[in-house]
Formats: sequence, C-alpha cells, structure tokens
Amino acid sequence: MTTSSRMELVCPAGTPSALRAAVQAGADSVYCGFRDETNARNFPGLNFSPQELAEGVRFAHAHGSKVLVAINTFARAGDTDPWRRAADTAASCGANAVIAADIAVLDHMATQHPDTRLHLSVQAAAATPESIGFYADAFNVRRVVLPRVLSVQEIAALNRAITVETEAFVFGGLCVMIEGRCYLSSYAAGRSPNLNGVCSPPEMVSYDEDRDGTAARLAGFTIDRYAPGEPAGYPTLCKGRFKAGDKAGYLFEDPVSLNAGSMIVAFRAAGVTALKIEGRQRGKGYVTEVVRAFRKAVDAAEQGEDATEIDSILASLSEGGRQTTGAYRKIWR
Amino acid sequence: MVLDPNKDASLPEPIRRFLPAFSGRPLGPLLTQAMRSLAQRRPEAFERLGEFCKAHFLIDPTDLPFIFHVVPDGRAALVHTTGKNGALPSDVVIRGPILLLLGILDGSLDGDALFFHRAISVSGRTEAVVALRNAIEDAELRPSDLLGLGGNVARFADSGILGGLSLARQIVTGTHRRERTDS
Repeated sequence: MTTSSRMELVCPAGTPSALRAAVQAGADSVYCGFRDETNARNFPGLNFSPQELAEGVRFAHAHGSKVLVAINTFARAGDTDPWRRAADTAASCGANAVIAADIAVLDHMATQHPDTRLHLSVQAAAATPESIGFYADAFNVRRVVLPRVLSVQEIAALNRAITVETEAFVFGGLCVMIEGRCYLSSYAAGRSPNLNGVCSPPEMVSYDEDRDGTAARLAGFTIDRYAPGEPAGYPTLCKGRFKAGDKAGYLFEDPVSLNAGSMIVAFRAAGVTALKIEGRQRGKGYVTEVVRAFRKAVDAAEQGEDATEIDSILASLSEGGRQTTGAYRKIWR
Repeated sequence: MVLDPNKDASLPEPIRRFLPAFSGRPLGPLLTQAMRSLAQRRPEAFERLGEFCKAHFLIDPTDLPFIFHVVPDGRAALVHTTGKNGALPSDVVIRGPILLLLGILDGSLDGDALFFHRAISVSGRTEAVVALRNAIEDAELRPSDLLGLGGNVARFADSGILGGLSLARQIVTGTHRRERTDS
C-alpha cells in the first residue's frame, strides 16, 4: 500500500512521564505496554498499570496524539488469561491500536474488539506479501511493523504488493535478523523476549569492575569485557564479543544503533506510512531528544528537504556510540 | 539536553580540593528527612521500585570526597553519608561525576547513554538499578519535591536550581564557551 498523506512519527514510552515527554516533543503516536509479560519490554519498574494507561490515553488524545498498546509476546499455552486481560484493558482504555504478533491475541482482538485497530508487531516477522496478506485477511490487520531485514527498494516493492500500511523502524537498538524467532538468550538465561518479554533479564546481568576494566556477564557467562573508557553496549548475547581462535570480535552483531534519519525522504517515496523510534526501556531524556530531532526531520522531509544533521545530533544517544542504516542500505550486497 | 559524552563533567580541581570529606555529613539526615517527607506526599513515586525499595544503593560522586548510602524505602527511607573509605555493604554501586548524577535525577540526562559512553559506571544487582532508574524517571522529581516547597517558592527554587545545574554542566564541559563562539 502506498500513501500520499503525512508520515506518522511513532515514539516509545516506558513510563507515563515518557509518554507525556514524547507527546510534548511532537509524537504523532506513542506506543507502550502493560507492567507484565504480555509485552516485549518487561523490565523492573517499567511500563503501565491499567489506570496509568487510561490517563496516558486521555493525555495523548487531549494533545492530538494516538496511543498504541504493545501486547506483542506469545501467549503461554494453558495460561492465556494475562494476554486476554491485556487486550480487553487496552480496548477499554480507548487505545487507538493494539500491536500484536500471536495469532491468539490477534484473533481475540479481531473477534472481541473489532473497532480497535490491529497492527502486526515486528515480532511476527512478516516481510512477504503472502504472510502480510494472511494477517490482513484473517484478522483485519491494518498495519504491519516491518522487520529490520529489508532494503528501502524491497520495502517499496512490498508496498506495491500489499493493501495494508507499513511502519518502519528509523532509530534505536537493532536485533539480529530473526525477529520474533530469537531464542539465543534463553540458552543462557532460560527466558526469551518472545515468551517472557526480556532477552537479558536484569537479575541475571552483572557488570563487574576490576583493574582491566569492566566485565559484562549474563547468567554467569562473560559476554564482553570493556577497557576503561571504552563505549559499552546492551548486555545481550547477540552483542557479545567472543574469541574464536586468536581473534576476538562481535560474532552476531556489533553494538551499534540504527539511525535512518537521513533516509526519511526515501521511506516516503517507498510508501511507508509510519516511522518508528525504538527505546521503551530508555529514559525521558532520550525520548525527548530523539523525538524532537525526528519531528524536525520528518517535517523537513514533508517539505521535500532532507535532514542529514540528525546523525550528529543523535550520536551521543546511540548504543556503543556508533550508528548504522542497517539493512535499509544493503551495502554488503 | 544532549551532552557530549567525551567531555569530562567532573567538578574542577580547586572546588574538589576545597571540600573536606566530612562536608557531606549533614546531608545524610537532611536527605533522609526529604525522602521520607516525599514518600508521605507522593507515595506513588516509590511504588515502581517494588521489592527493590529495600535494596542498598551506594552512590559515589567521583568528584566529591564523600559517598551516599541510600535505602529508598518510602517512609522508612535512609540516606547516610561517609568518606570514600567508609563504604558499607551494598547491593548496587553507581559512580559518576555529581553533575551527571543530578542530571539523571532531574531527568535532563539519559542514564543509558551516559552508561554506554562510560561517563557513569554501575555494578551489583542490575535489576535494582533498572528499577531505580525507571522509578526516578517516572517520578519527575523537582528540587522543590525534595525540599518540600510549594506554590511560587517551589517554582522559583526549581528554575533557579535546575538552571544553575544546567549552567554548571555547561561550564565544566566547556559547552558554554562553544555556544558563545557559535552564536
């Protein structure tokens, strides 16, 4: 599906204060989740109670913004009540859309809350016309959040072949390219982002300092070691630094942040409806700075201009202090 | 505020030398009282901590001669200050220049970004740090909250103290000179 209307800026909120910050910084939509394992950012002290979500929706609507609720983990067989309850609560709070990946959650929303829009989470890893068509036909999904595996040219071709809107990540952390199917951390920690909402449970993460620097450990396994002053990354296995033979390196993925701020015009031309900023686990300072920078860049793109300075504005907020345009420019091909 | 992580935000040496280790001692009872009084007025500010309200946090401003031991247990909160050699057993240790730590507290700086760039360091029970960070983020604490002020006095105190902190950060990192040159 191609679009000619203004692109929507979709921004993260891990707390009510981050939601307010995102709205005030110019977010068109804010996405958030409940304080349990129904969403893929299930960290201590993060997320919303039902009452906080209702208040957040009221605040966002009063300022002309929308709220999208992520219920995007996969329901546990034999214990689907938390997911059912989350879907019902999101609808009753007046959420503008629910972001889901599990077909049980999608089916519950489609049958019980047909008036609430359904967005297909990146956790569903739907990147072909056939898979997206299935979700659209079966559950009336209106938008798909694209996995970060496609080039801009591939997104343009996909948009010509589907009837639903597309949402593309433009900034924040990157996953290895098997979103929704990654069980890497479960081998070390026994839990996964897909089922429990965390890939590195904080209670299993430690940073231990010694004379040579800092060792990052997950469930007792050393996954990286940083020299004093060396930029660090998230403590996930996929971004660990390992030694093979005599050579130490990032086996799966470098600790860099996605920043496709310089490609907004290209996304527009490719028919992308919405641009998504990652980072519900990040603070209010991050939300304010990133949303403000992207608001300016998207507005510039709508005027036909590009905003290349966005790279330098946001460099200090990036993981590992480095940025990439990821698969959007597949320079390795 | 985007802070250049490569700039040292530590207090200048003359200020650090001026402060003796015992200068932090009066802060313990004052901050204990301020936190308990905050818990009375805004109990929800502590709810996000969950079980970690009883965790022991050691906050070490690397450019001050004293450290803070904090147990953020709402109305039973405790803040104790000691010299650098008087560290008590703790669940978490957070280290960094005082102006950066205060920036995280007032929400003007992003703790993750400071950690990625090693401007602050964290060790111990990571889940307690994550809970504390998220609780502080959502509480949107203002200086007047800790001082128990209200009305116009609160507004005056907030703008004065936060403006002063922002200016101090710009001065120690040299940002104010660059901005003046650029304009």
